[in-house]
Amino acid sequence: MLATPTTSLTGDSLDQRWRDRLETVLAAGAAAGASLVEVFIESTDHIGLLAEQERITNVSPAFGRGVGLRVFLGDKDGFVSTNDLSEAGLLQALDQALGMLGLTRANFGAHGFAGLAALRDHGASKENWLRNCPGLDESTARLLEATALLNRHGDHLQARRGSYARDWQEVLVAASDGTFARDIRLHQSVGINALAADGDHRASLGRRYGSSGRPDDLRQWDAEASAIDLCSSARSMLYADYVEAGNYPVVLANRFGGVIFHEACGHLLETTQVERGTTPFADKVGDTIAHEAVTAVDEGLSDGAFGSLSMDDEGMEPQRTVLIENGVLQRFISDRAGELRTGHARTGSGRRQSHNFAAASRMRNTFIAAGPHTPEQLIGSVDRGLYCKSMGGGSVGPTGQFNFAVEEGYLIEDGQLTKPVKGATLIGEAKEVMPRISMCANDLELAAGFCGSVSGSIFVTVGQPHIKVDTITVGGR
Amino acid sequence: MGANIITARPSALHASDLAGQLQSLAKELGVSRWDLGAACSTDTSVQVDRGEAKQLKGAQRSSITVRAWNSDGLVGITSTSDLSPAGLARALAGASEASTYGNPDDSPGFSPLATAPLAQLEQPISEPRGILELLDTLKQAEADLLGRHPAISTVPYNGLAQRSSQRIYLNSEGACREQQLSTASLYLYARAEEDGRKPRSSGAVRLAYGAEQLDVAGCIEEAAERTIQHLDYAPIATGRYTCVFSPEAFLDLVGAFSGLFNARAVLDGVSLSQRDSLGSQLAVPFLSIHDNGLHPGNIGATSFDGEGTPVARLPLVEGGILRHFLHSEATARAFGVPPTGHAGLGAKVSVGPHWFEIGPAGSTGELAGAANLDRFSQDGIVWIDSLSALHAGVKASQGSFSLPFDGWLIQGGEARSIEAATVAGDIRAVLKGLVGFEGQAKVTPDGICPLVWVDELSITGDA
Repeated sequence: MLATPTTSLTGDSLDQRWRDRLETVLAAGAAAGASLVEVFIESTDHIGLLAEQERITNVSPAFGRGVGLRVFLGDKDGFVSTNDLSEAGLLQALDQALGMLGLTRANFGAHGFAGLAALRDHGASKENWLRNCPGLDESTARLLEATALLNRHGDHLQARRGSYARDWQEVLVAASDGTFARDIRLHQSVGINALAADGDHRASLGRRYGSSGRPDDLRQWDAEASAIDLCSSARSMLYADYVEAGNYPVVLANRFGGVIFHEACGHLLETTQVERGTTPFADKVGDTIAHEAVTAVDEGLSDGAFGSLSMDDEGMEPQRTVLIENGVLQRFISDRAGELRTGHARTGSGRRQSHNFAAASRMRNTFIAAGPHTPEQLIGSVDRGLYCKSMGGGSVGPTGQFNFAVEEGYLIEDGQLTKPVKGATLIGEAKEVMPRISMCANDLELAAGFCGSVSGSIFVTVGQPHIKVDTITVGGR
Repeated sequence: MGANIITARPSALHASDLAGQLQSLAKELGVSRWDLGAACSTDTSVQVDRGEAKQLKGAQRSSITVRAWNSDGLVGITSTSDLSPAGLARALAGASEASTYGNPDDSPGFSPLATAPLAQLEQPISEPRGILELLDTLKQAEADLLGRHPAISTVPYNGLAQRSSQRIYLNSEGACREQQLSTASLYLYARAEEDGRKPRSSGAVRLAYGAEQLDVAGCIEEAAERTIQHLDYAPIATGRYTCVFSPEAFLDLVGAFSGLFNARAVLDGVSLSQRDSLGSQLAVPFLSIHDNGLHPGNIGATSFDGEGTPVARLPLVEGGILRHFLHSEATARAFGVPPTGHAGLGAKVSVGPHWFEIGPAGSTGELAGAANLDRFSQDGIVWIDSLSALHAGVKASQGSFSLPFDGWLIQGGEARSIEAATVAGDIRAVLKGLVGFEGQAKVTPDGICPLVWVDELSITGDA
């Protein structure tokens, strides 16, 4: 026999009809002695498309359902995930999670569970989102338009790609503290990539745009402007020389330049890092950890931003969390477990890729706030340095050391942008680099991205205005 | 009921039942040609933090991917975790609908080898252990590691996990592949800090077919040794150095540039290789690279790929010459060769390596490289222990890389840890700049390889 999850009791939608089943599970967990039981149920509908040159080469739909069940006993927890959403399946998952903590579901005796609160339904106004997204005909046509635009505006392009992903997710969160909340999420991202080649010269570049809660986003996307921007970069980088390694002042462009703060500092302000003892900032609230020019924020509220949420994956509404104000550390990004284990109050930042992961404290829309300068003033203040127009990915290690690749860079000589350079990697340590961000420009912009960490890959936004770092190690040739 | 309920095996998928259901659904939908990949698993894992349980996890997962061909021979695909009859029906209908958008220039078919005999793998199935047993084992391992050196203060990244899994491939022409597997893994990543100095970290990982077979003591020993060796560090001056890659580091580097061997990437125009690159000199004449998913050191090896093609040992580079590409059914057809057992399952089928064997092409002379290499016998050698951030620092379609690494600078026969540095170069120059190999080949989770000497790589340091 197949493993056949049974959900017929509840029909297709995750809603109020789940109350009885969930209350049964939560009451059983509370009666077994759990401090808290939390159930996260999701239903997903995904489509991924790829266009290469003049063809659609991949159409990949996927759908699914699953539940993640977490039991706390004090600050310890056990987590079980399954695709079996039947009452028996949920109770089996509960038994497993209880067993991890040495608890058993012996009876339905006294417990502190007073039932679920009234459903907070953040999804009620979003029921039409999925059907208002472009269909396959329209989506594939947009991608073919994009690869044609790359062909029109580019030179020496050996490969042209357009990709689109639409992720729809319906979630229901219930916990034995009464939390009962529902949401519908819609994330769309579209990307274009090109590989330019001429003899031994090669340059591969890409752009990605993303939004949340905007069914019309693919229709509204300015494919031509994106193609022109990418082709212009490819033209610059195709014949670029490798950057000379060394220590330089660096000006990082706005938008995706914000990955430096995300990697170098943002991860170290998550309570998961406090729990592990891997952040140098654990006891620094109230201390100056960055240059006074730096104010940094993490929030889940910006309209349409990739990291925005109506509620986090623990049912809490997001906040605007000022992390650093004028260089002084204000607070950490925290989830339910983080609050229990570190004392830092929850910030609506409990996030996870799917039901297969327990929620963890994760960033949402994270950015350095705008400053008083113009970008030209930042560049004009550098005699010899590096301008990073476009960043690749990056990562931060367990000792706070970070690195990220520069996708498109230019030398700064005598306050002017000169030659394009490639092959640069910025490396350093957060504690040392944050005080060196000495100037922030007035052109804050956000950029969509994906962040992989303890609770999987999630939708986030990074952002910043142009910033100047007085000196940083640049890996090159 | 106690914690040992976690040891339950995954709900079994029954290939014949699944085939019957799909056949029936396909008939209803008018789909005459289909195939399917299915997988289910039960996982348990534990993490600890200074003697306490940090997180205990269990998971039951199931998934299927269905492909359907339409009357024009175009293929569509849909994946789902819903294995109920309704879920299967929706998946097949979705695949059928998606076939409208199939690519007429490059439509996959059934592998001609989907019913060919499979290699017999020696993969003992282990009974899962109770999660509290796993927890005790990991707590003890953490305690042992913390006790190895006063500077080791925490083991911030650690985990002990076990998995029982099953995978199936079926198609409408009667192919039926099935494999069951149990695996376990342990990783210990320690952090050490001495007064007035920067924190340092390193670790080790072990894989086995069951938790009871894991080399826990070896993992602790290696994690401790590597962490302690990095405590005494110094900056390195930026410059060009002869580098000696550890087996793990060199396998990571070759893996990051496996597009060189990937027929899909060649056809897509994003590989450094081209169709006519076969037979060309890719590397020094003493380098040999095989992909061998069946090697006994490859814990968790699969006997068939996503299209049901048998996995087999494949020479990629012999005597420095590029011999073969990795293929799916579709790329093999385009090249006029048999599929090699390296495919995924998709409308556009991905191709990837399993497990590399890297080493000298022969034992003597031109086929072996420089003889008697000893990294401690020369000054100014950079010994690269591990590479980081390959996802960010590798430009696979350009050939360039710029990667942070942990390693040592050797002076006067002594190795001293390098504080922070990146290594940069071009993979084509690396492969043609190999000096030779040192020591015996080592089995790692990603392949087998000895220490590899490479001339003249750019190192950026802080000194």
